[in-house]
Amino acid sequence: MNGFPVLSAILAIPVLGAVLIMLLPAGQRAAIRVVAAVSTLASLLLSLGVTLAYDRAAGGMQFVESVPWVPDLGVHYALGVDGISLPMLLLTALIGFSAVYASWRVEERVKEFFSLLLLLLTGVMGTFVATDLFIFFLFYEVVVIPIYLLIIMFGSSKRVTKEYAGMKLTIYLLVGSAFLLVGIIALFVQGKAALGHPSMDIASLAGVTYPVTFQALVFALMAFGFGTLLSMFPFHAWSPDGYAGAPTAVSMIHAGVLKKIGGYGLIRIGLYVLPAGAALVAPVIAVLAIANVVYAAMICLAQKDLKYIVGYSSVSHMGYVLIAIASLNLVSLNGAVMMMFAHGVMAALFFAMIGSLYQQSHTRSLPDLGGLAHQMPRLATGFMLAGLASLGLPGTANFIGEFTIFVGAFRVYQVLTVLAVSGIVLTAVYILRCLGAVLFGPRQPQWDHLMDLRGPEMVPLLVLGGAVLLVGILPSPLMDLINLGVGQLLAQVDTLRMGGVL
Amino acid sequence: MSDQATIGIFLLLTLAFPAGAMAAAWLFRPAPIQSAEKRTPYECGVDTRGPSWMRFRVNYFLYALVFLAFDVETIFLYPWAVRFQALGLFAFVEMLVFIAILALGLWYAWKEGALQWY
Amino acid sequence: MPYGLLAPEIAVTSLGLVVLGVGLLSRPRPHPAVRVLAVSGLALVLCWVALTFTRQASFFGGVYQVDSFASFFRLLFLSAALLVLLMSGRYAARFGPRLAEWYAFLLFATAGMMVMAGSGDLIALYVGLELMTVSFYVLSGYLLADARSAEAGLKYLVLGALSSAVMLFGMSLVFATARSTVFTAIAAAVAAPAPSPPALLAGIALLAAGFAFKVAAVPFHMWAPDIYQGAPTPVTAYLAVASKAAAFAALLRVFLAALPGQLPDWQPVVALLAAVTIVAGNLIALAQTDVKRLLAYSSIAQAGYLLVGLSAANPYGLRGVLFYAMLYVFANVGAFAVLTLVEVDTGGTGLDSFNGLGQRAPMLAMVMTVCLLSLAGIPPLAGFAGKFYLFAGAVQAGYLWLAFVGLLMSMVSVYYYLSVAKAMYIGPAERTAPVTVPSPARLCLWVCLAATLAIGIYPGPLSALAQVSALLP
Repeated sequence: MNGFPVLSAILAIPVLGAVLIMLLPAGQRAAIRVVAAVSTLASLLLSLGVTLAYDRAAGGMQFVESVPWVPDLGVHYALGVDGISLPMLLLTALIGFSAVYASWRVEERVKEFFSLLLLLLTGVMGTFVATDLFIFFLFYEVVVIPIYLLIIMFGSSKRVTKEYAGMKLTIYLLVGSAFLLVGIIALFVQGKAALGHPSMDIASLAGVTYPVTFQALVFALMAFGFGTLLSMFPFHAWSPDGYAGAPTAVSMIHAGVLKKIGGYGLIRIGLYVLPAGAALVAPVIAVLAIANVVYAAMICLAQKDLKYIVGYSSVSHMGYVLIAIASLNLVSLNGAVMMMFAHGVMAALFFAMIGSLYQQSHTRSLPDLGGLAHQMPRLATGFMLAGLASLGLPGTANFIGEFTIFVGAFRVYQVLTVLAVSGIVLTAVYILRCLGAVLFGPRQPQWDHLMDLRGPEMVPLLVLGGAVLLVGILPSPLMDLINLGVGQLLAQVDTLRMGGVL
Repeated sequence: MSDQATIGIFLLLTLAFPAGAMAAAWLFRPAPIQSAEKRTPYECGVDTRGPSWMRFRVNYFLYALVFLAFDVETIFLYPWAVRFQALGLFAFVEMLVFIAILALGLWYAWKEGALQWY
Repeated sequence: MPYGLLAPEIAVTSLGLVVLGVGLLSRPRPHPAVRVLAVSGLALVLCWVALTFTRQASFFGGVYQVDSFASFFRLLFLSAALLVLLMSGRYAARFGPRLAEWYAFLLFATAGMMVMAGSGDLIALYVGLELMTVSFYVLSGYLLADARSAEAGLKYLVLGALSSAVMLFGMSLVFATARSTVFTAIAAAVAAPAPSPPALLAGIALLAAGFAFKVAAVPFHMWAPDIYQGAPTPVTAYLAVASKAAAFAALLRVFLAALPGQLPDWQPVVALLAAVTIVAGNLIALAQTDVKRLLAYSSIAQAGYLLVGLSAANPYGLRGVLFYAMLYVFANVGAFAVLTLVEVDTGGTGLDSFNGLGQRAPMLAMVMTVCLLSLAGIPPLAGFAGKFYLFAGAVQAGYLWLAFVGLLMSMVSVYYYLSVAKAMYIGPAERTAPVTVPSPARLCLWVCLAATLAIGIYPGPLSALAQVSALLP
């Protein structure tokens, strides 16, 4: 695929799909769905192709594209992938593809729904492949507005209204991004002074040695910005409400990949460009991470709404990612990336199942449900798979991620890691309670009218469930790729100017 | 005599003049008669009749505006006419343009009815 | 002297006179050709300015400057005027027999703005300013039967005259110290590094206050909401966009060309003014339920962002002002165009008149959303690139706190911009009939949408243009 701008193609295909959908008449629902499915499939296939074609012997950034964009600001339209961004790109493509099928039964305003969904996907994929800070940020915020519109138009009002949920999510993320942007601008100005020419290239900015206090300040700003997106305690409140209000596809994409931009950004930009700042701020993040793990898991124990359970559980799981990033070593960072992938697939599967159920039952409340394994065996399989992955059962991808994280983190934060491991016990309690209440027990006749998963609804189960098991049983191809990416990033940090800070 | 002394004398004389005039009037006037008319504040012009907060026709203002425009035009025309020979053709054309713009304004005012008295 | 470079000013003025004359000839119903004449004339002038962009000249001993700075702003004013003319078609029917004068006054105001941007002298600047504001006094009160419009006209007249007087007093003090009204001569006369004389400082303060009034910066903003709301909507659009940009052009000219030596004196004041304007404008806008008034407060906040660039007074900040002023034209005129069409359709400008617009007119709803989000500075729309410039300049000048305030507040502004989007997409629709959009207005909407997206996604060309045009101290 030499010379062909394959990454740009991956980004452009959903946009073209969205434009095509906007041009179609609103009545052509079938055609609109097909366009959405085809464009996400094309992106998925291209992402898979890129992953397979990535030259592991050479490593580093590959499929690089760079076009001068704003000479005045040193901005290049620069894309590239390495061992850290490839899993994320693949994850996005997987979830995006499944999300289209999970939304197959959307009947109102189909046109708006799918065009916004495709734009959203472009934004998310763009952040993972951008190697220029400006372009990264451009994509980073593209996602917020489509999500808001999707939530207010297609969401559901249960405990809080969808307008409230959407606005809360939007304002949290935007305020976080405002701090992030201040950090980026400060970095740009400082980098320009040091380099002598304006540059937004992440690697060039990483080549500059910044004063330690400056690093700590900017890293703190970024930790605030990315941390809000990653639902770091105490900036997590948007996440459960937002997921509960959002339509299925948005919950899938948001919990599945959008949060991961936070972790990805902390590693790719925070850690890489500002290692000394990261080292200073890391203990704070580690403590907050434990609050995430334990506090959110305890809230889960008290929840009755399925979406809130998964919402808080994703806050809890992000605590693992945060403590892994705060540990700042190769093993823990490997675990962080792996965990992000695994959790993404798992959370998306969970939300897809909840969506399929809610669409027919119109309730997500645990006390109302029960014994659904009798009526909906396939749905129950999906639920079980997601639930068991969520509690980190060996054989699922999540086990690989969590285990690696604990091994890496224990070297640095012994006490905190032990606390974090206790989170697994809590997770087991609430997940098993939830699965039991929804799926098992005597057959309840009021649910006899529910239809099991069929046709397009099977796609998320097969694709995402398959991914959970495949990576869980055969982790080495993905793990090697991650190890390569993280290893090279840390090596650059080390040789450049670490001076034994890590 | 120094300049300061001149100014000083001048100052004294100016102060003395109103005092002298007032004193002469007091000396030569007939005995004053008190009346209501005498006590009213002095105003020039005709006494007002009826309430003075009344509306004026807007035509007054329109007339005044149009008049002002052409008044200002005269001020510009005068120095131009004095230096006409030296300024040459360019200034002549410029003045024509200026007058044309004003004429357009007059035409507009005319069409709007500014020159009509209701 | 290359008078061809003055052709745009002369042409726009003559066009205004011709339009007035044609209107007089075709009374009482103005001939439809008037509009065609105005639009095509403006388009021709726009092309002429674009073609002669690189040519520069100084007239009458520096009193009038045609440089790339002036040309940049001429492009801006002409595009704004064209877009407003295109979108105002159906609304302008309300002006009845005074339709031709509406075009004429718009053209005169444009000519005044161009003079302001090109002025190299305090007097020339003032003449341009008055030509512009007098035209706007009339236009604000153009809907004679509407009490609000009449009130707006009168208020603008009184307050505008007051601010002009303040500014004139400031000019006279500057003249008293520098003994010249030409910017270059002023700069040379007061360049001494010693502390500036008090009279000059007072002059600068009064000038700043006058300009702050013209750009509606807090605490000199009180006039703006009432006048913006009362004036006919296309007039408000032009007032919010072009008159603000013209005031900024003049502000930049005076402060950077005439008073660069006094930078330490005015820089912190401008920074403070910018911060207060951004905070107050955005916070008050949060409480608005009328879209026209909301846009008025939002345009106050936008003036604050532009002031950030001036307070930075470095290349990024000053390029940012130009960049932002240009993209602001498309974003704001786009929003006002939708507002105008909605007002013509529903008769109101409240948030509830936007209910259900997403179903009735998807195109209008999309343009409105995109334009408002661009004003909020959400990537990948134009506003983001502009704000990046402005705040990069501020951080470079050491105003990190200003960047914090500005960016945080621009995220707060998303709340009220999205409240419009919310009404459009999920508001309960009382009507279902699609909104009719005449083709000139449609063209205006497409141009605004395309420009907002294009500048946001590929800011390179506009950034290059701003780079060659920016005025530096």
